Amino acid sequence: MVELVRTGIEGLDEILNGGIVKHSTTLVSGNPGAGKSVMGLQYIYNGVDLFDQRGLYLTFEENAQDLRQAAESIGFENWEEYVEAGDITVFDKQTLLREHEFDASLELLLEELAEEDYERLVLDSLTMFQLFFEDEQEKRTYLLKFIDILADNGLTTLMTNEQGAVFPETDIGLENFLTDGNIYLLQTPTDSGVNRYAWVAKMRKQDVDTDIFPMEIDEGGITVFKNASEFSMMGGEESPL
Amino acid sequence: MAGVDTIRTLGNKYSAEILSATDEAKSAQELSEELDVPIATCYRRIDELQEQDLLELHDSVLSDDRRRIKVYRRSVESVRVEFDGTPSVDIEERSEVTNTLDEAWRTLSET
Repeated sequence: MVELVRTGIEGLDEILNGGIVKHSTTLVSGNPGAGKSVMGLQYIYNGVDLFDQRGLYLTFEENAQDLRQAAESIGFENWEEYVEAGDITVFDKQTLLREHEFDASLELLLEELAEEDYERLVLDSLTMFQLFFEDEQEKRTYLLKFIDILADNGLTTLMTNEQGAVFPETDIGLENFLTDGNIYLLQTPTDSGVNRYAWVAKMRKQDVDTDIFPMEIDEGGITVFKNASEFSMMGGEESPL
Repeated sequence: MAGVDTIRTLGNKYSAEILSATDEAKSAQELSEELDVPIATCYRRIDELQEQDLLELHDSVLSDDRRRIKVYRRSVESVRVEFDGTPSVDIEERSEVTNTLDEAWRTLSET
């Protein structure tokens, strides 16, 4: 029996048939604004809030203050409390990029992993992480090593990935083959805003529902609608909520 | 492939010491004090080592009295000299992030 880690994101765990495989690394791809960072925040927050699992949040995109505001703005009110209690540890932009010495930050991270007991990790984003390597071969080698190191430290990881196209078949990067799972977040503009969708394209060792499901980002974070009847895919009808 | 010029540069007094000391970025002043090298010599060695791509300008940091100070870091991890045929050197460049990950990964495969 494969052990699973629940995301606690409504609808998503059902689509995943219970959750994400423990000690795996899942890539969350999408274009800017698709909700990748929100999914990362929610995964870490729920870990502490619902499952008593400590988490590490690594971000090249934001500083700790922005992250806190982002979390609180979607209703994760205890974010700061959990950070202060040490249940959530944030390595923010300033920490990771201090004095251009990413190597030192990486050592700090490895020390933290060796000393403390975390179960969840988010890397926002893989796109930035890969900039520290010189060519495709190096990126590939070191992403695999990094994934190994995370698994060995007992972590179940989400990595976000910038994706240009709405439908990704035009530019599937190598990283999609290297990770254990792939979730795509899609958005299409409508008259009244955007329609959002989540697509779990691949999960190693797992029988998942690979249909594309509608989702919403609201107070409380992301909700994925497992039953399409709850929500119109076409966007022509009113949402039932 | 680098050759005799690199070897000559390395052979100059204090060159090897400067490379050993610049694991972390340091200024000419710091190197001069740490290694007890006259400051003018220190600058000359830094120029020579840079010319051979053995040392690199890492950053210009702001000093306490708000001046820009150049700090240097070695760009190589090791140099191997081959004497077969014309002398030639094989330079192993430094890539810190990959080194750190390699090391962490190695320890994990040992356990």
